[in-house]
Amino acid sequence: MKINTRKFGEIEIDEAKILSMPEGLPGFAGFEKFILLEDPKTAPFCWFQSIEEPILSLIVMNPFLFKPDYRLDLDAFIESRDWKDIKPDELLVYVVVNVSEVNTVKKITANLMGPLIINPKKHEVVQVVISDTTYSHQHNVLDSI
Amino acid sequence: MLVLSRKAGEKIKIGKDIEINILKVEGGSIRIGIEAPKNLTILRMEVFEKIQNENIESASKGIDNITDAIELIKNRFPKESSD
Repeated sequence: MKINTRKFGEIEIDEAKILSMPEGLPGFAGFEKFILLEDPKTAPFCWFQSIEEPILSLIVMNPFLFKPDYRLDLDAFIESRDWKDIKPDELLVYVVVNVSEVNTVKKITANLMGPLIINPKKHEVVQVVISDTTYSHQHNVLDSI
Repeated sequence: MLVLSRKAGEKIKIGKDIEINILKVEGGSIRIGIEAPKNLTILRMEVFEKIQNENIESASKGIDNITDAIELIKNRFPKESSD
């Protein structure tokens, strides 16, 4: 099917890759269908694009690229959502990224406190908020390791 | 908004599976116990607002905003970025 996106114009997507977000996306209530768009030109950043709203698209990336020791209790998460037939290593984890400029210095931050957890078998995604953690919502990506 | 008065040790029931327990009232703070299904997200509002603000901020960025960031990250993590 074709969808409209502000960043990439009209694009063809594989309907099987549409992810539903039954618990919603904080800040964007009412939008529940998304797709993860990967563009070689913007890699390692990807786009978490709304199917329903062309202008709604978040910058996301794989957290393990800059934080190999990032740990989440995925077993507990799977149990809390009552997801069947899926193992922790089959889930995909992305984090929301922000870029800013402070005194002409470019800064890249990632929200390690609210990762997006994708269940590819169920085509579902949940933004989990882990509040009992030392991970920051504005983790400095370039200072990692 | 529904407003109720409760004392320490008293409870509030919401729907069929949520219970709010007023555990302790001391000085200016109240200790609350919440029993709810595991799949319900319960957060301090300020934590939720942090997540929300990061999402809103990220959604406001365009491809041109991240052009420099792509270079920075590729230089910083050359091996990982090329995978």
